[in-house]
Amino acid sequence: MFIFRFSFLLMFLFGSFAHADEVVNIYTSRHYESDKILYKKFENKTGIKVNYISGKGKALFERIKSEGKNSPADIFITVDAANLWKVESEGFFQRIKSRKISKILERRFIGPDYKWIGIAKRYRIIVFNENVKEHELKDINYEDLASDKWKNRIVIRSSSNIYNQSLIASMISHNGSSYMKKWLPGFIENFARKPQGNDRAQVMAVANGEGDIAIVNSYYLGIMLSGNSGESQLNAAKKVKVVFPNQNNRGVHVNISGAGILKYSKNYDNAVKFIEFLLEPEVQKYIVNNTFEYPIVEGVDPHPLIKELGINIIEDTIKVKKLGKLNKSAVKLMDISGWR
Amino acid sequence: MYDKIKSYILLSPSILMGIIFSIPALVIIFSLFLPYSENWTHLNDTVLNEYISNSWKLLVGVSIGVFIIGVSTAWLTSTCNFFGKNFFIWALVLPFAIPPYIMAYSFTGLFDSYGTANELMRLIFNIDNGEPFFPSVRNISGAILIFSFTLYPYVFLISRTAFLNQSRDIFDISRTLGLSKSKTFLKVALPLARPAIIAGIMLVAMETLSDFGAVEHFAVPTFTSGIFRTWFGMNDIITAKQLAAFLFLLFLIFIIIEKYSRRKLQYNTISTSNRKLVPVQLYGVKQIGAFIICFIPVLIGFFIPFIQLLYWAVAYKLSYFDSSFYDSAFNTIYLSLIAVFICIVTSLIINFLIRVNKNNFLSMINKVISSGYGIPGIVLALGVLEFFSFLDSSFNILLTGTILGLVFAYSVKFYALPNSNIQSGFNKISSSLDDMSHTLGHTKFSLLTKIHLPLLRTSFLTAILVFLIEVIKELPATLILRPFNFNTLSVSAYLYASDERMIEAAAPSIAIVMVSLIPIVLLLKIISRDNNE
Repeated sequence: MFIFRFSFLLMFLFGSFAHADEVVNIYTSRHYESDKILYKKFENKTGIKVNYISGKGKALFERIKSEGKNSPADIFITVDAANLWKVESEGFFQRIKSRKISKILERRFIGPDYKWIGIAKRYRIIVFNENVKEHELKDINYEDLASDKWKNRIVIRSSSNIYNQSLIASMISHNGSSYMKKWLPGFIENFARKPQGNDRAQVMAVANGEGDIAIVNSYYLGIMLSGNSGESQLNAAKKVKVVFPNQNNRGVHVNISGAGILKYSKNYDNAVKFIEFLLEPEVQKYIVNNTFEYPIVEGVDPHPLIKELGINIIEDTIKVKKLGKLNKSAVKLMDISGWR
Repeated sequence: MYDKIKSYILLSPSILMGIIFSIPALVIIFSLFLPYSENWTHLNDTVLNEYISNSWKLLVGVSIGVFIIGVSTAWLTSTCNFFGKNFFIWALVLPFAIPPYIMAYSFTGLFDSYGTANELMRLIFNIDNGEPFFPSVRNISGAILIFSFTLYPYVFLISRTAFLNQSRDIFDISRTLGLSKSKTFLKVALPLARPAIIAGIMLVAMETLSDFGAVEHFAVPTFTSGIFRTWFGMNDIITAKQLAAFLFLLFLIFIIIEKYSRRKLQYNTISTSNRKLVPVQLYGVKQIGAFIICFIPVLIGFFIPFIQLLYWAVAYKLSYFDSSFYDSAFNTIYLSLIAVFICIVTSLIINFLIRVNKNNFLSMINKVISSGYGIPGIVLALGVLEFFSFLDSSFNILLTGTILGLVFAYSVKFYALPNSNIQSGFNKISSSLDDMSHTLGHTKFSLLTKIHLPLLRTSFLTAILVFLIEVIKELPATLILRPFNFNTLSVSAYLYASDERMIEAAAPSIAIVMVSLIPIVLLLKIISRDNNE
């Protein structure tokens, strides 16, 4: 009986060491069922097996750091340019040598020295309810939101979230720190409640009148409107309308989800192939139809629900790597002004 | 002579196991001697006080909560007869199947401003505006509620056993001396059961403080969530480990209190006779009262969250129960089988050696290994990660990211469970059997295999079941240490819920509950068999 149990044990322990011939190992902070199908598509196309772990981006990065040069990770996929910048500034990404990428991707979506690239984009938009008149939002800018007329009307998630940090970072880049030092307290005073929940919770809050406007990422609207997250989220999303800020000047704040190849990757060529795969039009279409993000390459349309929100939107063309550089200053300013 | 040599041969691997099992804890403690970075000043200025005060409030609130719920229901179901009592004896344990973070997810789903409960109220009373009926639960009071209703079964089970074992003589004497029923309870039964109750509350305390999923979801910053934030938010793994070390030291204190209480318990039960309690039949208002007191915890701690999760899963995500679900469930089960196997073998050898050699040193090693229970999951994961990274770079292999890491973590954390089962199993085997076997000329080895093993069968079964339940529910260590393509039910539930994707979180959550129910029911059968002996 013991022998049986013992060999059972051995079989499983060593079974986990067995490898397929060609593999690519991905650590990703995306947790979508649809991603699994994507990996299968890649496997069918190239014969390279995809191994993946999904988890919180920061946790995965810490694990990569702990694993050191023995880390099996080839590719790290995460959201927000600031997160990508952090990984790269600590020296964990290596150059992606691919001619295809420079041909299809705009320069502003590529990290310094080709160390990471964007694979989809999202806007940080304003949603509002019927308490807000159209004229109040005409030509609205993020900068206008510190004015008194928005007192007790704004809901937004916590400053600990990186999407907000990147928005503030972009505003620092365009307006300067001293401007932002004065702007932030005014903005924070307009909060209708203390920051809580994630972007979805903000949409719900606007739908049920806890606030009049909220600042959220565009794809959440798509997810909620799709009905996949249940009726109450669908109804809430239907109750709000959308406006894109800064359309008369620099454009709405743009951020990305992106990927890079890790320094100690053991399957470099396979990793390059996978990243190029993500930029193919068909794959872009698949990604944006499932996650409601905007495509990062030209010639691909976003999901109809997202298209309905607005087309020909003017985008802030700031190089996204700046969002990473200014992240620390953004966090400091947010801390000092009391945005929890 | 051969026997002695053989037993010494078994001694060294046991000591080795003891050392290996202690390494994660040692790694964490060692960080206390590393330099303290400037982040400590930042922490001190900003959030440290909040962490400490929240953790303290949670601790006190939950301890009171589980005391009230656990002791009252235990007392009623052991000393009284009332309508539904036999149902409640097992139903009151059902919240065991629902880990705190799952309960948190279902409660926010119910009581958020657009949650099910509020929607229901709006439907019934035909209200149109969005004002929530029920108060928000995403705060510390909500957290205290959640933990109390999901963790009280520890106190319930332990107190109930204590009350059942209290001899009838004591109650007869106290009634003769003129104490009313309630005075008997307050002045005799309760103090006698105090060691057991305290032991139960210490277990609850450790579970509460090491939780990270529920408090994160409720936005209640506690010590454990602070460890996460320092590690990931401030990128400072050393300060995170130092925080973890302090938490671990606190837990050691809890363990010492628990063990000290239980020692007193043993002393008490030896000196009393064995006449069993005869339950008192309740009538009228008292019967209704007893029913309500027992019904509320089952309702809040099990039925309400279960039904909410079931509704979500069935209405939206039945497709979840496809092949990847079975993969996740299977992953969880075989991982725990491997880990419990390691623990059972280790515990068997150590306890056997203690029995035949009366070795105090081994006893101590056993206690050290058992204290792994007091290491919060995240602390353990940190320690294992560091230990394995060290091995990886020293020997140029790759251990991190294999299931070895998880198996190791589970073995260290939950060793105490199979160990206490095997220990009590051995205690039930009379030593005269050992003597007889020796007289008849059998070796120690055949004593172990031919006599002890068959008699320990129930202990093994109980050990496997209890271990399985804990592994299914474990979250933090699994989250950090798991290998590629390896999702467990707890991880799936957490990743979806922390993204506010409740509907998608419901299916793995309900799966956790249902998969845990099977071992729980089996376990209850074994316990009731034991209690009737």
